[in-house]
Amino acid sequence: MFRVKNNEFVIPGQLVGTDIRHDSNCFREGGNVYSSVQGLARIEDNTLKIIPSSGGYTPKEGDVVIGVVKDVLHGKWLVDIDASYPATMDGEEVTRNPQRVDLRDYFRVGDILSAKIFSVDEIHASKLGRPSKLEGGYIININPKRVPRVIGKNKSMVNMLREKTNSRIVVGQNGRVWINSANTAFVVSVVRKIEREAQTSGLTDRIEKLLNNA
Amino acid sequence: MKMKNPEIELIKNGKRLDGRNLDELREIKMEVGVLKKAAGSAYVEWGKNKVLAAVYGPRSLYPAFLKDPTKAMLRCIYNLAPFSVDDRKKPGPDRRSVEISKVSTEALESVVMTERYPNSVIDVYTEILQADAGTRCTALTAASLALANAGIPMKDLVAACSAGKVSGEVVLDPMKEEDNYGDADLPLAIIPRRNEVVLLQLDGRLTREEFDRAYQLAFDGALKVYEMQKKTLQDAMKKSAVVGD
Repeated sequence: MFRVKNNEFVIPGQLVGTDIRHDSNCFREGGNVYSSVQGLARIEDNTLKIIPSSGGYTPKEGDVVIGVVKDVLHGKWLVDIDASYPATMDGEEVTRNPQRVDLRDYFRVGDILSAKIFSVDEIHASKLGRPSKLEGGYIININPKRVPRVIGKNKSMVNMLREKTNSRIVVGQNGRVWINSANTAFVVSVVRKIEREAQTSGLTDRIEKLLNNA
Repeated sequence: MKMKNPEIELIKNGKRLDGRNLDELREIKMEVGVLKKAAGSAYVEWGKNKVLAAVYGPRSLYPAFLKDPTKAMLRCIYNLAPFSVDDRKKPGPDRRSVEISKVSTEALESVVMTERYPNSVIDVYTEILQADAGTRCTALTAASLALANAGIPMKDLVAACSAGKVSGEVVLDPMKEEDNYGDADLPLAIIPRRNEVVLLQLDGRLTREEFDRAYQLAFDGALKVYEMQKKTLQDAMKKSAVVGD
């Protein structure tokens, strides 16, 4: 039995249901299920999900993230993905023979790349793959929990942003947004607005209006 | 610490120096998300106490030999600002603040799900900007708000409150004069959902009956604090959701 309504705000330790299916943001004690974070409760497919309203990024398999190369090691790179855990990328991702070639020919310390997380182990250390270099542009950091809103359903929001402002934008699940635009300041202000108003409804329409008026 | 001062009458006709009843809390104000650069933060005013709490992390832990691959380390630091008390406090950790840091860390460890963040550290800094007795309870209350604000998984909030003995009477939430010239001080922190005690200290002497009374007062006080914490977090989330038009 659910003890919260759909779209209700919950806080840590709040009883959200008894003998229900729930996600990893809840915990069970006996039959009772409690929320472990603050956020928005969603009931989907008879399962309770909590969408956290804050918190850092924890790497997840399949995520596309934006990283900054921190170090070039033997046959691999150490990449900063703004998580509290290390991420590495093997040289094999770009060359057949990473031991023989100079990896600096591909990525140097300080280079920016977008890559997919291929695997995450039990202590959250992740391996990246399929990198693409991002040259020029700027990176801004947003709340990782609000990234889905910046991307939008089927990437609708980010595609709209790209088209209307004629800019290149990559949104990483780790909360980093790479922007290469003639009018960076404007794009940044729009992304910030989406982040700020992530939990309001009718956001896409408002943003569309804003972009059309600009 | 305990001084005798016969000139001040701490309790007069069942009312205290500031006009409170024996079982009345001071006025408490709470706010979360006050610091931009921290993962989570909270500011609590509890009577004349003013405490700022900030959470950083989970982040990488150095020196690396302290890393634990099964769980995160929790570090709660209690610090009295030099200007927080009447006589300037020498800056830096001393015997008292190291002790309070330790017991606060242990109190928070019982609710924070540290196993979710292996090899990392969660730092909680509580800065006492103004002190007026009961600072460790204020700091702990602020710390658990800041942890919730940072989105760190917890089994419950920690709520704290103190009770004491003043002029032979057991009172709730003593203020500075009552603490300095009183007979005993009993800070208490609880996990309200399970009615568990996570911090209990006693400075001074109480009889068994006085202890039971003081414990009950502090416990009920902490439950009131818990309700305020819940409301603060709920209101903050609602506020952020209606930003915009």
